[in-house]
Amino acid sequence: MIDVQRLAKRFTQGRGKKAHTVQAVDGVSFVAADGRITGLLGPNGAGKTTTLRMAAALLVPDAGSIHVDGIDVQHDPQAALARMGVLSDARGLYPRLTARENIVYYGRLHGMSDSAASQRADALAHLLDMTPLLARRTEGFSQGERMKTALARALVHNPPNIILDEPTNGLDVLATRALRDALRRLRDDEGKCIVFSTHIMQEVERLCDEVIVIAHGRTVAEGTVASLNAQSGERDFEESFVKLAFSAEERKRS
Amino acid sequence: MNAWIVFRKELLDALRDRRTLFMVLLSSVAIGPLVLVALSALVAGIEKRAEERTVVVAGIEHAPTLRNYLERQTYRVDGAPADYELRLKNQSLGDPVLLVDKDFEAELARGEAPLLEIVTSSGNQRAGSSVNRLTRLLRGFSSEQATLRLALRGVSPATLEVLDVQERDLANPQSRAAQLTGMLPFFVLMAVLYGALNAALDTTAGERERGSLEPLLMNPASRLSLVIGKWGAVAAVGMLIALLSCLSFLPAQALLRSETLAAMFQFGVREAALFLALLSPLAAALAAVMMAIAIRCKTFKEAQANNTVVILGVSLLPLVTVFNQSGEAPWHLAVPALGQVALMNRVLKGEAVGALDMALPLAVCVLIAAAGVTFVARQLRTAALR
Repeated sequence: MIDVQRLAKRFTQGRGKKAHTVQAVDGVSFVAADGRITGLLGPNGAGKTTTLRMAAALLVPDAGSIHVDGIDVQHDPQAALARMGVLSDARGLYPRLTARENIVYYGRLHGMSDSAASQRADALAHLLDMTPLLARRTEGFSQGERMKTALARALVHNPPNIILDEPTNGLDVLATRALRDALRRLRDDEGKCIVFSTHIMQEVERLCDEVIVIAHGRTVAEGTVASLNAQSGERDFEESFVKLAFSAEERKRS
Repeated sequence: MNAWIVFRKELLDALRDRRTLFMVLLSSVAIGPLVLVALSALVAGIEKRAEERTVVVAGIEHAPTLRNYLERQTYRVDGAPADYELRLKNQSLGDPVLLVDKDFEAELARGEAPLLEIVTSSGNQRAGSSVNRLTRLLRGFSSEQATLRLALRGVSPATLEVLDVQERDLANPQSRAAQLTGMLPFFVLMAVLYGALNAALDTTAGERERGSLEPLLMNPASRLSLVIGKWGAVAAVGMLIALLSCLSFLPAQALLRSETLAAMFQFGVREAALFLALLSPLAAALAAVMMAIAIRCKTFKEAQANNTVVILGVSLLPLVTVFNQSGEAPWHLAVPALGQVALMNRVLKGEAVGALDMALPLAVCVLIAAAGVTFVARQLRTAALR
């Protein structure tokens, strides 16, 4: 379970007189439960990625708290990271290592033995339908192959919580469907708590049990797709989202 | 434990970068022995001409007395080719040419000083190296003639020899050879630098550019252990290159064509071990410095540009001994790269290198490496992103 409360983060760009601050996140709160897929939906620049980075202990929040299975991320980031699998938008692999070596390397850093990590790589390859890739060097992998390898790498330590930052970016239809299937299986078979961010409606409609709408760094609405539709009085989810995420003025301007 | 895992992975990664490794081996490990062999060919050529004992003269028919003298000194007299000026200029003639005036014999008999011209070109090194020998030869002829004339007048030749000047050379064969082999430590140093450069950039800026730094930092491993593992791997690659380039001199000696140089250049297992003992800490320190510079860069290319400063520094520092004619100062040993080159030169000269001499550069390298590693770890802690 991931519990985020009143998170805030401000960035300062430039120095001296030219400096100006950007309030990237300004009061994001949500609870992602185990055995559910929670989607963070928001327009570009809404603060989704920043929020997820803070959850993954890469950034220190200015205010607010993040608890992963009851562990305060700021207080004990290493223990929290051990219970999280994070696929961020940076998902670089080592091109001169095989997919298996890439996955096992992270397993070892998570304290697994060589053989345990390798076994886990086999199991994940089966889940993600990438067994033939394991022995190949990752140089020249397609986007989909890269994503699968990176996801397997993030899940090697079998974390109860999974965070994915725009995982379908750059993937074709088949790869996207394969990823969706894998996430559903992780939720149904293993009861994982899955949080992923996206700005694509269909993805949320097809996959999410719970949607958190984020705009201007704030949580503006949350609930299931149906309840959000009811809340905004629209039948189409895209219309609901636009209504919820943008102010009347912003909608007119576009 | 984590550091060991990172170390193993980074080392494997670096060793799989075959093309880069091959280029490093080719350009830095092979170049030392190649220079050595080229040097020996040069020295052998000079020696060969010294043994040849030929003099190239234009107009020897005008000077039978001189010819007689030269032949008594067991020199062979060759006639100069007609286009000797051109051939001296374009370096196809490797000997200076002696010009004899047609009135030489008559002027010599009259007791006037006949003119002898030595034609050479200072752009022609081969010819230039024989000028001294020819001048000495002619001075010998001149003094023989003078002695004869004095003897005719009943004067002892010793009246002209007021002084008896003799040279005594204190240099042992090894230190004579060190004049020629003095640039070898520099090549070895460069080999280590370039060997470690690629790995240093790949594990820092390259990791960031690839987008693999952020996922790596999301592992529950301390930043310091990650950095120590990476640094260890980079330093190990540098040391490996150092080992290979030191060992490459051992078989290279067999290729030496000049016997004198082969006799003077004694690079055995002991010398190789001393070189390695000097270079290994330096490789570790350079690895840390290059990583510290690269970690702030967003791309491999940017890191490469920034590390030019290190490369320039390491290549220029040893030149201090060249610009500074007063010789080796104690502070030289405390300067990285300069200290190592100075000590390696001492090893080549066969001079004693004490434990204390080794300890000072080692301590400096340890300090630099520790500072670099700490800096990189701190950079990762505060600026994990972009």
